[in-house]
Parts: sequence; C-alpha cells; structure tokens
Amino acid sequence: MFTLNPHSGVPIYRQLLDQVRRMVAGGQLAVGTELPSIRDLAVKHAVNPMTVSKAYSMLEAEGLLERHRGKPMTVAGRSRIQSLPVKRFQQLDPHINDLILAAHQLQLSQAEVIKELKSKWESMDESSTRRRAAAK
Amino acid sequence: MNHPHVVAQQLSKSFGKHEVLREVTAEVAPGDIVGVLGKNGAGKTTLLELMLGFTPATSGAIQIFGQDSFKMTNDSKSRVGFVPQQDELINQLTAHDQLRVIGSFYRNWDSVFIEKLSSAWEIDLKERIRNMSVGQRQKLSILLSLGHHPDLLVLDEPVASLDPVARRQFLEQIIEISADGRRAVVFSSHIVSDIERLANKIWILKDQRLFWSGEIDSLKESVVRIHIRGKAPLPKDLGIPNAYSFSLDGAYAVAVVRDWTPASHSRLVNGVDADVEVQSLTLEEIFLEMHR
Repeated sequence: MFTLNPHSGVPIYRQLLDQVRRMVAGGQLAVGTELPSIRDLAVKHAVNPMTVSKAYSMLEAEGLLERHRGKPMTVAGRSRIQSLPVKRFQQLDPHINDLILAAHQLQLSQAEVIKELKSKWESMDESSTRRRAAAK
Repeated sequence: MNHPHVVAQQLSKSFGKHEVLREVTAEVAPGDIVGVLGKNGAGKTTLLELMLGFTPATSGAIQIFGQDSFKMTNDSKSRVGFVPQQDELINQLTAHDQLRVIGSFYRNWDSVFIEKLSSAWEIDLKERIRNMSVGQRQKLSILLSLGHHPDLLVLDEPVASLDPVARRQFLEQIIEISADGRRAVVFSSHIVSDIERLANKIWILKDQRLFWSGEIDSLKESVVRIHIRGKAPLPKDLGIPNAYSFSLDGAYAVAVVRDWTPASHSRLVNGVDADVEVQSLTLEEIFLEMHR
C-alpha cells in the first residue's frame, strides 16, 4: 500500500502522512477502507511503530482517518472531515505561527501579509481550476 | 506508570585521569528506541555499561527504574536485557544448554518463545558453541537477552556480524518488542541505516560528550544542506548562521546548516537574490557532517 524510505531525508511519519493524504484526495483510499495496524505496518516496513502511530494520530486529528476501538483505523467519511474544524486548525496553527514570525522578522505588517495571502490563495485556486479543466 | 526507564544527569566517568564520558544528561522513556551513534572511542560502550550498573559513575547520576544503576535490586536487574559487543558465550556448551543456564536465572524465562525464535533465526540448538560461526554466536547472544522479556533492552553493536537477512529478522523482533509501548530499547550501532529505521530518539556521542540528543525527526528536519544558486557571483557573507560546512564558488554556494526552520528559509530567501534549494540528508550524512 505504501512506500516508505527510511533513508530519505524526509522523516518517515511525514512520508506516510503525505501518501495517505494524496491517496485519500485522489480516491485510491476509499471511504471506509481499513488501514494496516500500527504493528503490522511497522514490521512490514521495518520502521519504528511510534512513527506510524504519529502519522496515524495526525491523520485522525485532520479528520482523514477514524479510530475504532479494537478494530483497524478506517478512512473517514466526508461528513466527519467537515465536522472537525477545531482539529483542522490545530494542524494549521504551526504554519500560521511560522508565517507571523517570519512576517515580523521581515518587518511586514499584518495588512500587507493578509493582502498577499488573499492574492496567492486566489491565484492558486485559479491555476488549479485551469489545470483541472485542461485535464478533462 | 509513565516514569522514564533511564534517567542520566550530568553523568561523567573517568578511569584515573582518563576522562571517558562527560556530563551526559538524557532519558529513556517506555516505548523509546534510542539509537546511539559515535565514532569508536566516543564513549558509547561506557555509557551503556553505566546504564547497566557494571561500573559506578565518577560524578553525576544514572538511574534505572528509579534506582541508582550501580545499586539495582535483583528485581530490577531481572527486567534488563543486555547484548555485549564481545559475546560471553561458553564455548563448551551447546546453544541449548547455554540458553538453559541463562534461563535458570530468570523466573519468567519464556522457553517456548525462545524455541520459536531460534527456529525462525535458524539457530541449531544442538550445535556446540565453539563450532558456531561468528554470526550464529551473535544471534545466540541476542536470543539470550530476550527470553525474560526485559523492560529495558541494551545492545552494544548487536548486528555487526549478521548477514542482511538475519539483520532484518533482528530489526523486526525489536519492532515487535517496541510495539506495546511499555518496553525500551537502547542500541549502539555503526550501521546507521538500521538506526535510521528503528530509532525514534538519537544520541550522538562526540569527544566524550552527548553532542546531540533528541528525536530523529527533529534532527532530520533541522540539519539540512542548502544550495544557493545566483545569477551573479554571490556576496561572501550570506548570513548563514550555524553551519557545519560552507563553500562558495562564484554564483553557487552550498552549506550544511543546523537548527534550520521555515523562518530561516524565508530569511535567506529574502536576503539574497538567488534560488535557494533545501536538501534533506540521511542520518549517515548528518553524522559525517558533524564530524568534518
């Protein structure tokens, strides 16, 4: 299911995070699909189980995965993803903090940063719409 | 129930005037797999021996399960497993008898588990130890440390003589041990790729000190190689702080930095008119850079 490279500079938990996010977004991991247990995944890839657990917990906090007592984790349904705004902001907070810190160090004002954020956001949305249209 | 298994505070060890370990402060929590890296002579074996209570500290303290390691109760000692760098097998015995001798010291020796593992690891229990290859001896040494299901497993270069298949089996067993989150493993190895797979915490010993300790993920995220490519020759002072190495050649500069953060990235990007590429490093490369 996953390709994990312990020797890449990218931490293993992040590789797993990125792959699950991509596969859920792309539909390769359908809603309700069971994920391998932490132990099984760790043994299969010969990696530390804590790193798998870290990725799984973060994905659960993002609302991508659902935990079931005594049973494997599953890919969460749409409604669950939408119902966890607090948890989703927890994921975003470190990035927001870094942005504010960098802005202060570069002596940029809040207004300037917000203006830049809006403009970048709109242009990213625009180019992804264009890409999707071109792909059809 | 969640007290660390090992706590070292300003731990130092000297043999006469010869200082072998200096002011090591570190912890091992249940569930941790700690990888200990260091050049030969950096103090790894001494640190592990102090952890096991084989030798007393010269100054500072080291506690195992809340007790001074040199004064551990028998109960605590029975919760520790150890694989030494040089095996301590008795050549005249068969593997089976060696296991029985060691097993007799422990109330909870799991012979069913050991038998299963010796079969999976292809150890002929009837073979006499003096006839075994160095790889087989090492496998047997590891087995001897596992039968009592220790809460703290300490291994000093446990796989130096194992072939890749045997090494992988060993790694898988460590993962199995670690999966319940209650036991801890500390192992030193020159096979950096094994540590990279298994460890969640890294201790790097250099010049008798604990040069770096922390989560492997933080280490990999904070020590990176930066490539700077400008359109014109770059200024001599690029303002790259905390670099392990730096070289500048016209419009191209490359540095290996520590303590890298996304803020460092924006600062650099905004401070120089050039393309800035951040390259991640393997654990081995990081170790080598720290020793330039």
